[in-house]
Amino acid sequence: MSVLFDHLPELWRGLIVTLQLTAASFAGAAVLAVLVTALRVSPVRVLRAIGTAYVEAFQNLPLLVLLVLAVFGLPEIGIQAGLLTTAIVVIAVYEAAYLAEALRSGVNAVSKGQGEAARAIGLTFSQSLRHVILPQALRTVVQPIGNIFIATAMNTSLAAAVGVVDLTAAANRVNLTEAQPIPIFVGAGLAYALIAACAGFVTGRLERRLVILR
Amino acid sequence: MKRMVAALAVAVLGLAACGEASSPAVPGASKKADVLAGAPVAAAADILPGSTMEKIKKRGELIVGGSLDAPLLSQQNPVTGEIEGFDADLGKALATYIIGEPKVKIVNSASETREALLANGTVDVVFQTYTITPERAEQVSFAGPYYTSGLTIAVKKGTTGITKPEDLNGKKVLAGANTPAIPAIKKLAPQAEIITFGSDPECMQALKQDRGVAYVQDETLLVANAQKDPSIEIVTKPFTADPYGIGLKHGDEDFKKFLNTWLKKSQDAGVWQRIWKNSIGTVVTGDAPAPPQIGSVPGS
Repeated sequence: MSVLFDHLPELWRGLIVTLQLTAASFAGAAVLAVLVTALRVSPVRVLRAIGTAYVEAFQNLPLLVLLVLAVFGLPEIGIQAGLLTTAIVVIAVYEAAYLAEALRSGVNAVSKGQGEAARAIGLTFSQSLRHVILPQALRTVVQPIGNIFIATAMNTSLAAAVGVVDLTAAANRVNLTEAQPIPIFVGAGLAYALIAACAGFVTGRLERRLVILR
Repeated sequence: MKRMVAALAVAVLGLAACGEASSPAVPGASKKADVLAGAPVAAAADILPGSTMEKIKKRGELIVGGSLDAPLLSQQNPVTGEIEGFDADLGKALATYIIGEPKVKIVNSASETREALLANGTVDVVFQTYTITPERAEQVSFAGPYYTSGLTIAVKKGTTGITKPEDLNGKKVLAGANTPAIPAIKKLAPQAEIITFGSDPECMQALKQDRGVAYVQDETLLVANAQKDPSIEIVTKPFTADPYGIGLKHGDEDFKKFLNTWLKKSQDAGVWQRIWKNSIGTVVTGDAPAPPQIGSVPGS
């Protein structure tokens, strides 16, 4: 157990990076996902096709492949950013596909009459989406969004494979000198579990507060 | 399963070779036999009843924890499925010593799983550039050391200002994840920012893409890299001495003694030297170095 406390500063720095990765990439994914959802439910066929293509592409490629491609492939064509930035962007783009699907299921849960009523009082497509559809859609998918947040937090550990020193990489390095994988990785695992538990607690509270009684 | 596939591949290639007079597609096949020719085999009296070596002999197969992706040391040949290199061939020589034939199953282990794999008996021994340290010696026992290597620094050609490890302070330095380079850099250049990647080709790519100004890695690997790729150069002599040991279950004294005896016998018979020549010796010029003194480092 003492190995954990001896190396607390290194592991703590790793945890901070993990939290940064999670927060920044989830925020990015949220913005992208709303755009992709708008594309997928838009009345224009071409836009719908673009939305579908985005979701299909990023849901069907493993995150690790995307990370390695972005870190080693993009510099070959002259696009190079810092490792942390690259990882945040890639995870955001990847998770946005999942988030967009969750949002779309929320949009489908809003009854058709709502959209028809919005049009009847003269709202444009984007106005009806902003003021009528999305607020109701979001409330029904709080729990799935929470799950995707947790998945994002867990997926950030793949950034360790492309040089980002997150909690997983920090644990690896501590283990390299101490050779005690069980306490070190159980400790790191508990930290991840704590992030997931917090996310679960918050989404539970939010869902109860935002529930729509029909 | 992997071994079965490998055996099958070898059998098929063997059949193909029978049909033709020569088979240039498999240059490694005949070479391997030469390397292990004359490898010592243990006398029946050395296989103590109830010991680990008796268990291995009865099983008819030595289970080694090792890598499949370490060039020159333990790398799977994508054509034949054979695992080749210094560590891999030593494993085969050890299997020959115990069982009489080079029957080895390599379990792909990583530095975070080696201790656990040995402790719970999944593998018999670990041959994986396993540096002997006093911390590790509390978790596992080490036979050997069987080889000493050192870390050195590679940079992109034309880089100035890096001539010794201390020069890395304040710079971005690349290293393989889970290699002894990480603690070594931390010790000699505490202000360096260490960036790690999982494999050697990834580190090389990162060096060429300026993700870091220097790459710290085992001398052997860097020599091989610099030969293949003229855009990098090595700027220091090795600045550490890492003694590699054979990892085994903690406290198995009989097995440790047995392994040390085998190591001594193989070195005396010239098998160790031939294995070196056939692997690391293909990129490092000169004769095989003198093997390190067995039991000469703390923890062994």
